[in-house]
Amino acid sequence: MTITVQFWSYFKDHTQCATTSLELPDGTTLGEAHTAVIDQFPALGDMRHSTLKAVGVDYQPDDFPLNDGDEISLFPPVQGG
Amino acid sequence: MKTQLTLTPDPIDELALITEREMSDGMGAALVFHGVVRAEEGEATIAAIDYEAFDEMACHQFELIFEDIDRQWPIESIRVVHRIGVVPVNETSLWIEIIAPHRAEAFEACQFLINAMKERVPIWKRPKREASSNSSQSN
Repeated sequence: MTITVQFWSYFKDHTQCATTSLELPDGTTLGEAHTAVIDQFPALGDMRHSTLKAVGVDYQPDDFPLNDGDEISLFPPVQGG
Repeated sequence: MKTQLTLTPDPIDELALITEREMSDGMGAALVFHGVVRAEEGEATIAAIDYEAFDEMACHQFELIFEDIDRQWPIESIRVVHRIGVVPVNETSLWIEIIAPHRAEAFEACQFLINAMKERVPIWKRPKREASSNSSQSN
């Protein structure tokens, strides 16, 4: 399956891109996709535990199962206000 | 509960917002909060903050927060304006108005809204040494 990954804030600086796509086996979870992203962009590894993860516009846990065509977002802690 | 959310690159026109205020006879509290950009960020002196938002998710997360508030307090209305882009020091980056029957629930709901926003709403800031459009520092 193919998923799209969006990066936000300074994560874009580390990846040098705002989006990428990944080919992953069916049944891949959000946490496994995150690991695959870090394999592709090792600079994100240092922020692994503070990274916030969403599918679409909702936060989801690492065991959330992904579907073909899902859009996931990875970003640092938010700072509005 | 009525809600209104605006994410905007434009300066916040509080006079216009106040003019548009709607408040029924049973309401006794109109609470307005301004979040203003400080000249200090950590130990650095800055000229502005550059705000970035994941707009679609930010709007969705604000709606979820509004629903949480509606379940907890008898609020008549909430209006939120958050600026996106470069906001110079001393300018308002966040404007909130809460209309409630009494001050206690208005203050509690406002505090809840700001705390929840800072945990959940995907907006980020980059301090800038110069008040131009280019980012100067990661945060």
